[in-house]
Amino acid sequence: MKVLPVSYRLAVTSRVLAAVLGGYIVAALASVSLSLWASMPRADAVVTGMMTSFLAYLCAVIWCFACRSAWRAWLGLIVTSLVLAVVSGLAYWMGHS
Amino acid sequence: MKEGFRQAMAWLHTWAGLIFGWLLFAIFLTGTLAYFKDEISHWMQPEIPARSVSSEASLTLAQNYLQQHAAGASRWLIDLPDAREPGLSVRWQQSPAKRGERGQFTEKLLDPQTGAEVQGRETTGGEFFYRFHFQLQMPYPWGRWLSTIAAMVMFVALISGIITHKKIFKDFFTFRPRKGQRSWLDGHNAVGVLVLPFHLMITYSSLVIFMSMVMPASILASYNCDVRAFFDEVFPASSTPELAGKPAQLAPLAPLLERAREQWSGGRVGRLTVNHPGDAHASVVLVRDGADRVVHDFGSAVTFNGVTGHLLATTPEQSLPRAIAGSFYGLHMGHFAGPVLRWLYFICGLAGTAMIGTGLVVWLGKRQLKHVKSGVMPFELRLVEVLNIAGMSGLMVAVAAFFWANRLLPVDVAGRADWEVNSFFIVWGLSVLHAMARRGRAAWVEQLALAALLFGAVPVLNALTTPYHLGITLVQGDWAMAGFDLTCLGSGLFFAWAAWKMQRSGTAEAVIRQRAQPITPEREVN
Amino acid sequence: MLLALLLCYGGFTALCLSMDRHHAELLGCKPSARRRRGMKLGGWVLLALSLWAAVSSTGWGLGLVEWFAVLMLSALLLVLLMPYRPRLALSLAGVSLLISPVAAFAQY
Repeated sequence: MKVLPVSYRLAVTSRVLAAVLGGYIVAALASVSLSLWASMPRADAVVTGMMTSFLAYLCAVIWCFACRSAWRAWLGLIVTSLVLAVVSGLAYWMGHS
Repeated sequence: MKEGFRQAMAWLHTWAGLIFGWLLFAIFLTGTLAYFKDEISHWMQPEIPARSVSSEASLTLAQNYLQQHAAGASRWLIDLPDAREPGLSVRWQQSPAKRGERGQFTEKLLDPQTGAEVQGRETTGGEFFYRFHFQLQMPYPWGRWLSTIAAMVMFVALISGIITHKKIFKDFFTFRPRKGQRSWLDGHNAVGVLVLPFHLMITYSSLVIFMSMVMPASILASYNCDVRAFFDEVFPASSTPELAGKPAQLAPLAPLLERAREQWSGGRVGRLTVNHPGDAHASVVLVRDGADRVVHDFGSAVTFNGVTGHLLATTPEQSLPRAIAGSFYGLHMGHFAGPVLRWLYFICGLAGTAMIGTGLVVWLGKRQLKHVKSGVMPFELRLVEVLNIAGMSGLMVAVAAFFWANRLLPVDVAGRADWEVNSFFIVWGLSVLHAMARRGRAAWVEQLALAALLFGAVPVLNALTTPYHLGITLVQGDWAMAGFDLTCLGSGLFFAWAAWKMQRSGTAEAVIRQRAQPITPEREVN
Repeated sequence: MLLALLLCYGGFTALCLSMDRHHAELLGCKPSARRRRGMKLGGWVLLALSLWAAVSSTGWGLGLVEWFAVLMLSALLLVLLMPYRPRLALSLAGVSLLISPVAAFAQY
């Protein structure tokens, strides 16, 4: 097996961490956004949010390995998380005012 | 990683598949066996007779038994027998000493024809495989977390595999045997693509089944962290009246079955719960059997007053999202499946297991070719080789050992159920040591041959240790017992063939090696 | 389920024959453009019919499950038979289509 440079291994590790941890956060935020915005009874919205969250997780994981660098992987996830957080926050604030 | 989308997905598929492959192989194999867990349990407790009786008759027997033995209990639970689980199971719970605590449960298995207590040899039976495939013999809740993580990785591996397989339509019908590594990859693609609907369903549904545990964020956000409230809404607890304190005769339960069936326009009752039997406010909750339709309706129940028979409550129709979740659950469990469909579930499960297994073989085979000349394998590849052998053929030997332990351990030994399970793990562990001690090909041949011997001899073992051998069961029509013996025999023949093939290709490989072309998924892409 | 299975197997064989490589493997020559189109169309029609056969007898819930099951089983059977027993694979398709009217009669 050819010797791989440390920078390569670091990049791979970074992408894996982004996919596993960052992906989970994106999926969780996606489920929260959907469940807060869906115009269904609460339990149904939550169930729908949870069921679809794994698709979001899948997309996040694919992004982390398909994009051109590890930095972009993290950037993409962070931006997505912020957007979803704002969307959720908006729905939460609207629901409680 | 700068090579392009397909290349990146090929990389992801290869590494995700390798790291979780052995765990997923074990999960898929034990999960596949679990589709026949009732039949396996029946074979492992041959003393318990399989009889078909009407639900009403069984229920009356159960009520009489409980009236005699558990009149003062706060709750009775009765699980009615069905085609695959012929036992009539009764449980009762004493009122707890302190409020909010769970009372103690007592469980008894009754003969559905006579109502007398039945005692089979102590064993976990087919339940072992069922529980292992999602709990992994780990303490709660770690096993479930790990198996759900594995399910997510499986999902990623499936999708990345589809993306990587550029010629998925062109090569749809392609299978070229007798061409070494090419054939293994063709096989991997065949069992992957042709059975893809099953693989996608089983993987995604396993995520949905544990979604409340692994993805609770939306529950916490929508219910202000009151998880209890969420579960009460999704599983509407039938409102059961409080204890009245006045004694009253419990009416016969059998007629309630028909009234429940009317409520559900068909359907079957799976379980009854009698709250406060013997009290004026006794209530009977009849829960629908999950097996009568594909979409699993959680908590579909009808409640009657136990003394007057008055209808107290019914659960509302399932909403669409909950019906979808119920579909995932129902499809994964396959409770609704009759004999033919159940065998198809089993075949699809074996295909999934084979998909993972062939993938692991391809991973190693492709990289082994680079080291053929030197004859020495680097540590990483040797590790993968040992894990492949022990994880696949070793696991099969362990399954056989589990069945052998059931017949060889004396019936009245204390803790024999635990020792059957221990046998499984001890033999599995020994297979790891064996794989480490022997050269790759030899280890494969020896373990496959052992599996062939152990599985093939199961009918003989059965005949020598019990009176329920094939000569009897085929004549009497006990298809579960006979089917088990015959399937083990068939598996034994398959492993014998596999061992023989392995042995043969070892001698032929020396010649083929020079001409072999390494096949890689990346090359596939080009 | 039997009718759906027979139609599925026949349909998959037709689709398989619509591909140059497999047509050559099974029948020894490359298909003409007309045959290719005919096989493709016939294959899809048979698969659609098998879906209808599955759903019309047991409803959408169980019917869809049964259809996917026979779909996967017949595809597996065809692909595993082809390299070892190509003539058997073909004749099974022929027999399936021949006895499907009988199966249809039995179902309805």
